[in-house]
Amino acid sequence: MSVSLYLPLAGNSINIFLLFGLGGIVGFLSGLFGVGGGFLMTPLLIMAGVPPTVAAASDSNQIVAASTSGTYAHWRLGNVDFKMGICLLVGGIIGGTLGVYLIKILRSMGNADFVIKITYVVMLAIIGGYMFVESLQSMRRQSTVKASRKPSEEPTKVSLYTKFVQSLPYQMKFEKSGITASPLLPIILGTLVGILSAIMGVGGGFIMVPVMVYMLRMPMHVVVGTSLFQILFTCINVTIMQAITNHTVDMVLAFILLLGSTIGAQFGVKISSRLKADQLKILLASIVLLVMIQMLASLIITPNLIITYKGGH
Amino acid sequence: MRNSLHVKLCQILIMLMTVGVVLGFQNLSIAGNQLVIQPNQIEIGTFFSGQSLLIQAEIPSSAQAIVEIVGQSSEEQLMKKGRRGGLWMNIGEVHVTGVPSLYIVASTESKLLEDPSADVSWGYHAIMKKIGVSGQVNENEKEKLIQDFIKLKEHYGVYKILPGQLKNSKSTNGHKKIVGTLPIPASIKPGTYEVCLTVIQQSDKQENTKQCQNMKVVMVGLPAILATLAYEHGALYGVIAVIIAILTGFAMGYIFKKGGGGH
Repeated sequence: MSVSLYLPLAGNSINIFLLFGLGGIVGFLSGLFGVGGGFLMTPLLIMAGVPPTVAAASDSNQIVAASTSGTYAHWRLGNVDFKMGICLLVGGIIGGTLGVYLIKILRSMGNADFVIKITYVVMLAIIGGYMFVESLQSMRRQSTVKASRKPSEEPTKVSLYTKFVQSLPYQMKFEKSGITASPLLPIILGTLVGILSAIMGVGGGFIMVPVMVYMLRMPMHVVVGTSLFQILFTCINVTIMQAITNHTVDMVLAFILLLGSTIGAQFGVKISSRLKADQLKILLASIVLLVMIQMLASLIITPNLIITYKGGH
Repeated sequence: MRNSLHVKLCQILIMLMTVGVVLGFQNLSIAGNQLVIQPNQIEIGTFFSGQSLLIQAEIPSSAQAIVEIVGQSSEEQLMKKGRRGGLWMNIGEVHVTGVPSLYIVASTESKLLEDPSADVSWGYHAIMKKIGVSGQVNENEKEKLIQDFIKLKEHYGVYKILPGQLKNSKSTNGHKKIVGTLPIPASIKPGTYEVCLTVIQQSDKQENTKQCQNMKVVMVGLPAILATLAYEHGALYGVIAVIIAILTGFAMGYIFKKGGGGH
């Protein structure tokens, strides 16, 4: 029996162990660091020969499984703020729908691949760069024993931002998160993350988590559970919309990936407690930056061929 | 005298008829065996990763052969790349017509396929002559574009040139058998393909002959069900994909107790 599996929507076959391994590695990193997954999976699939639009849409489908598993676990621990999650979700659905139509328009113009790649380059550069610098600083601080903490100018910035947040209408209390804010804020933020989710085929958690921590000022333990809850529904919406509009969700591809990623994530969680966080963060940041450099190179280096298929092959 | 002439004429006529019938049967027999492909239907199933197509034919001892697998011609929409703001991106739409979806060609003698500019009815040169280009493309770009188009098809494994891939056997009764296996790529699309044998006569007095057979490529089993569902019932397909993902997520969460990693 062949080890290759035919992907009917991608229109090609791919090695089953390669897919399972990709899912496992990305899931392992996801479990290890508590961030990412989708933002690494889609570029790796593109490198493995899956058409970009199929890779992005199928990855959304795969994230539905991973976030179901995570939300379920966090819900049992009481770490999901459903009220905040629903506000983010409303925004996510609006953003996801807009994103799917945006991809359709871009595909008809032939720019879908370019937009997916450039969005990746920018997001990976920001996240990889930030993580690399942050973990390097953290390691230096440890080596110089006690680094003096900067009181910094952050409180002024936060207070200005807080004033803006407080000026928004319809202020309401989010009990689980322990904050008071206008629902408009998470709806707007959810919309932006939803657009990125549809374009990049990611759950948006690696953008949503810092947004919830720094912009919504939610406690970390509630952030992860609520983010996963929101991501689950955003990705359900993106998967169904992509299936209806673009026919790019490859169920076979998604299924093998989700088997690998959910198993890999469990091992990642177990290993993470035994290793030094900063060293691992630097490793992840390096992987993220390498993926970013590879994608950037494809935009800068003169291509071998001056033509390509329309619609992202 | 008249009777003997009559008998002789009858004998000659019978002889001619016999020779005609024998030759006729012989020709039918050769025609029947000239090109055999195995299998003549390719099925794309769950574990399909491409397939080898066995080619067998009987040709005159002095002749050479070319075998082509040709997909149906269609129009393809492509994007021309160009540099904008230092970055490579798609800058214009190009329509290419008369393009076979698949083109694989193999020969008995390598030199039959090694001269890309040879004015023959097979090979890339023949394909390029049939390709029409329109859209946002300048006249002076067309040749380079067509060449790149062939390279693009080669990159996706749907265009291939295989010089000397067909092997000759010992000739008997003025005929020889040719055998070869041609690789069918995993990216082949369902449809009807033509497998053609061109017999190239070495002497100028005889014309080359061409004989074609159809080969079907069909999706079967799970890929067929999923593709039909995805293209004809997109909403249902999306809902099923989501339900499978949710159930698997719950199952994994339950099995490992701790749930998946964060995002």
